[in-house]
Order: sequence, then C-alpha cells, then structure tokens
Amino acid sequence: MGKDFYGKVMLLMELIICVTLCALDMPKSRKIPKSEHEVRDPIHIFIHFDSDERRVIDSRPLQRLRHIHQLALTYLIYPGTTHKRFEHSLGVMDLAGRVFDIVVKNQNVSEEVRRFLPEINQDNKLMYWRSALRMAALCHDIGHLPFSHAAEDKLLPEGWNHERLTKEIILSAEMKPIWEAMTPPLRPEDIVKLALGPRKAGLKFSRWETILSEIIVGDAFGVDRIDYLLRDSHHAGVSYGRFDHHRLLETLRILPTPATREPALGVEYGGLQSAEALVIARYLIYSQVYFHSIRRICDIHLCDFLAQWLSGGKFSTELESHLAMTDNEVTTALISAAFDSSKPGHEAARRIICREHFRVMYERNPADLAVNPESASAIFSAAEKHFGAESVRTDKYTQRGGSYDFPVLQRDGDSVSSLALSETLKAIPIFAIDYVFVEPEKRREAEKWLETNHDAIIREGRAKEDE
Amino acid sequence: MNRPKQDALLSELTDQLNQRGSWCGETHIQKAAYFLQELRKVPLGFDFILYKHGPFSFDLRDELTAMRADGFLDLYSQGPYGPSLLPTRRSVELRQDYPKTLQKYGRDMQFVCDALGNQNVAELEKLATALYVYFQHESGSRRVRAKILHDLKPHISFSDALEAVNQVDALVERSA
Repeated sequence: MGKDFYGKVMLLMELIICVTLCALDMPKSRKIPKSEHEVRDPIHIFIHFDSDERRVIDSRPLQRLRHIHQLALTYLIYPGTTHKRFEHSLGVMDLAGRVFDIVVKNQNVSEEVRRFLPEINQDNKLMYWRSALRMAALCHDIGHLPFSHAAEDKLLPEGWNHERLTKEIILSAEMKPIWEAMTPPLRPEDIVKLALGPRKAGLKFSRWETILSEIIVGDAFGVDRIDYLLRDSHHAGVSYGRFDHHRLLETLRILPTPATREPALGVEYGGLQSAEALVIARYLIYSQVYFHSIRRICDIHLCDFLAQWLSGGKFSTELESHLAMTDNEVTTALISAAFDSSKPGHEAARRIICREHFRVMYERNPADLAVNPESASAIFSAAEKHFGAESVRTDKYTQRGGSYDFPVLQRDGDSVSSLALSETLKAIPIFAIDYVFVEPEKRREAEKWLETNHDAIIREGRAKEDE
Repeated sequence: MNRPKQDALLSELTDQLNQRGSWCGETHIQKAAYFLQELRKVPLGFDFILYKHGPFSFDLRDELTAMRADGFLDLYSQGPYGPSLLPTRRSVELRQDYPKTLQKYGRDMQFVCDALGNQNVAELEKLATALYVYFQHESGSRRVRAKILHDLKPHISFSDALEAVNQVDALVERSA
C-alpha cells in the first residue's frame, strides 16, 4: 500500500463530505462556530472564556489594558516586570469563576449559610451571578491611568479616582450593548458593585453581593490579590509572592462569622496554612518589590513629569481621551522630554530616563518612631527648609485593610476566628514605609547634615498641636 | 483633626471600652467611634457606610491598622471570636501629648463608653444600625424605623429592632 492508496482514500472521503454538505445545503468551507475559547497564560496555563465574554475582552477598554504596565516603572528595577494589566485581568476573571464554583458547590454550603443567602439555592440566579462575577473581575482595572496607580490623587480632578473611571466605563454607552447581548443579559450596576466592592462603589450592597465582591476585592482572599502576587513574582523573578494557591482555592468556603453568624468568605481547616502562606507572600513582596525605594521615587518623578506635561496638569476623565491615553504615549513623551530641556517636565523625565533619580536619605525605623511617631515628616520638613523644596521628596504608605481575621471551618463543623488558631497570622508585621529622598547631587551633604541634626529634629519635631 | 490627635482619641476610646469590660474587637471600636462621631459630633473625620454589621468605616479600619504599625495598638486573640485591639504603653505617651484634646472630648468619650462598653457585637450591630436609621429617617415613628431596621437586617426580628430603636431614642435624648 503506497501513497497512491492513501491518495484515493482521501479523495473518497472528500467526496463523501461534499455530498453530505450538499445534501445539508451547507457551503463546504463553513465551520461550526466555536463558542468556547482559550488563551495560554504563564500562571494559570489555560484561561477559558465563551463568545459573549470574548466580546468584552475585545472591547476597547479591555484592549487598552494591553498597554498599561501592571507594575508601572518597576521594570527599571526588576527588568522582567513588563507584564500588563490585560493578562492580570484575564487571570482575575479565571480565578473568580473557579472560586465561585467551589464556594457554591452543594456539598460545600451549610444549611445555616443557605438560610442567610437564598440565592445559593436558585440555579438560574447562580448562572447569572457567575457571569456577572467573571465580568466584574475582568473589568475591575479598566479605569486605570497610564502607569497604574502612580499618583492618581494628584493627577485626576477632585472627586475622581481609577475606581470612578472604572464605574463610568462599565456603565458607558460603549459597553452597554455588550452587557445586553450576553446570555443572560447582565445589569451593568451589578458588575460595578462586584468589581469595586462596598468601599468604592458608592452603592447599597445585599449580603450576597457583599460576599461576591469579597471574592474579587476581599482583604484576605480576593482573587485580584491572589493573581497579582503570583503573576508579579513570576515576572519579577522573585519567589516571595508564591504560595499554594491551588490548595487555598479548593478550601475556600462561605462560613458563618463566629460572633454574629453573618456569612463571610473563609477557609476549611486544611487550607489555613495556604492562607498563612498568602499573607506572608504579601508582606514579603510588598517589602521587596512594590515598595522598593527606587520604584517609589521613580513614581514620584513620573508624577512630577505628568503634572507638567499634561494639559492643565491633570488626566482627562472624558471616555475617549481616557481610552486614547496609555503607557505608550507617556513613555514617548518621557523619553523626548528627557533629552530636550525646552520640553515641559524635562527635569523629572531626565531623572527617570538617565537614572539620576533622588536617593534615600532617611527611612522610618523603630528607634525613631519610639521618640516621634511622625519622625519622617519631621525630617522631611527640616530637610525641605535646609535644601529647598525642589531637592527633597517624601513618600509614605501604610498597609490598608484590617487584621487577617476570617472564619475557619473546623472538623467538628463549627467555625472559629483564624486568629484564634494561627500564631503566624497574628505575628505578621504591618507593612509601612516612610522615606525621605534627596537629589543625588546633594546626597553626601545631606548625610552629614542629618548626622548632625537627626536627634534634635526627631525630638523637637514631635507634633503637639493640642487644642 | 490631624492624625496624632485622632490616634490619641482612638487609643483613649479603646482604653475606656476595655476598662468597662468590652471585648474591644474591631467591631466594638467601629461602633463606638460611630456613636462618638455621629451622635456626640466629635470630629474624627471618618466616612461610615452601612456594611455587614451595621455602620462601618473603611478609613477607620485603615487607621486602626496604621496604629498597630506605629505601635499604639496591639492585637490579642482570645477564644473563638475575633481578636481584641488594646492600647500599648506608647499610646499612653501619645495621649500625654494631647491633654486638652482628651479633656475637650472627655465627656463624649465617657457617654459613649458607658452606653456601649458592655455590649456584645450583636447588640452593637442593632444599636448602631438603629442610630443610622434614626439619622436617615429622623421624622419616622419608632415603629417605622424599627421596620426599616428589620428590612435592612432581616436576622434582627421586628421586636428586637423596636427595642433597639427605643434604646437609641433614649440615648439621643440623654445626649441632647
């Protein structure tokens, strides 16, 4: 049997297909349309979505996220962190769907929780909310400005932030027909609620909606956090952000809070160590990557540049302008301004592009905090007076959210506070930074000045504006 | 109000609640701060929204975390419930910097801690939500407000809601 035989078989098969298609009155080239799609992902391997969801992914606001760096200018310190908000958004969507499927699974829901959350008992409602949750997760970042979080409070008009932009885009005329065409059609207000959570949405939440929004933005197990820890550590080339997220996801449950019986997102006893690992991962990656001093000062220089480069010193909140502005436009302007002293923002751009950023001259430390809780502010004010406002910058951040207190389902079926079970969760320090930076040309002088004046500034600078 | 002053008041509040036998969990501090700000008009500057256990401020939650980072509060866990937040020695030193501020709001602090210091989380949820409803529907009769409270929190029965509304009205009257 040679090539000739196989050739004849192939011809015969093609003839049979042609005859069949003719009989069915179908053109030969038509394929059955694909309703399930997938993309490769370095963290979740494959991310699946359907045709309705693909229309959202293909929309302009989502596609714009292909041009917004997930970690702003962090690539100047960790060169691998050039990944974008787009793939993070897909990852959050994927995780949100997986968590939803686990926490509503029949065997994972107690009778008590069912009484509090009747939505869990209605299959048609579950289908709607699963879809709304995945779309909220997909869209949770669409309002981000170029270079993500960098100084949005200074660069947006009063009363605006990226969450408000996210809300406006989800409710926009551009997105509305996409939500209406989905099966089942989605209410944009529901997507806003779940994407932003009770703190930022400015809307009333039902108990069920509160739980669902916790799946995305929750302090303890929000999938936004789970994805960014895994993804950012992968791209940064560090292992701090890794933890056994598979185990954690499998053990997530909706559980009664011990004191009030109010349902909340918690974990089965067997998943407690994975939850601890997540919290440790968060602490470490914040210290080593997100709040690296050079990353922070580059954000400040970028903010200085944007304040001078942008018309009126602010980003536009108008939808078309927002969609047209990405990291690409800013980077082009930044490079151009760095080498042309006549361009607005030249000095700040040069600091970033030529790596002549300001250097740390003072950093928060326990000994000084014991004397003066606002030690960095005192040093900054004194340095500003001594060296001039243009030569010093300051940066302050303290971890947000509460303690890692969530219900843990014990083997006897009762739930207790995670902090009653875990010494690890209690011991994890609160992450806080307080930097004072000085321009590199004055670094040596600043070090000597600080050595001489440090104790007096800390002591005398203690704020005591009593009534 | 600047941050150190705000922290001095919050650590004093926590201390006084603790002295009256309160569990001093985050929910206890949240509800006491809500009464202090909204009923006694102490300008703490927090935004409260209606959340899981009644009025809740995410800003206050962040501030309590920041106070732990600065060494003014410590986390203690006891038994199956959530942890207690208790003031540290450093918070005593902080308060010593603000004697006039603490004196100015001393009576407000005492009023709130006397009223709420011995209440558990479930009671605090009822009372704080009843106060929230009071401010939203000041002209509504007690039964109307109890119905609204019951609708907002279906696990609180109408009779319990009515009792909470009566208690809050008494507090408002005494506070005037």
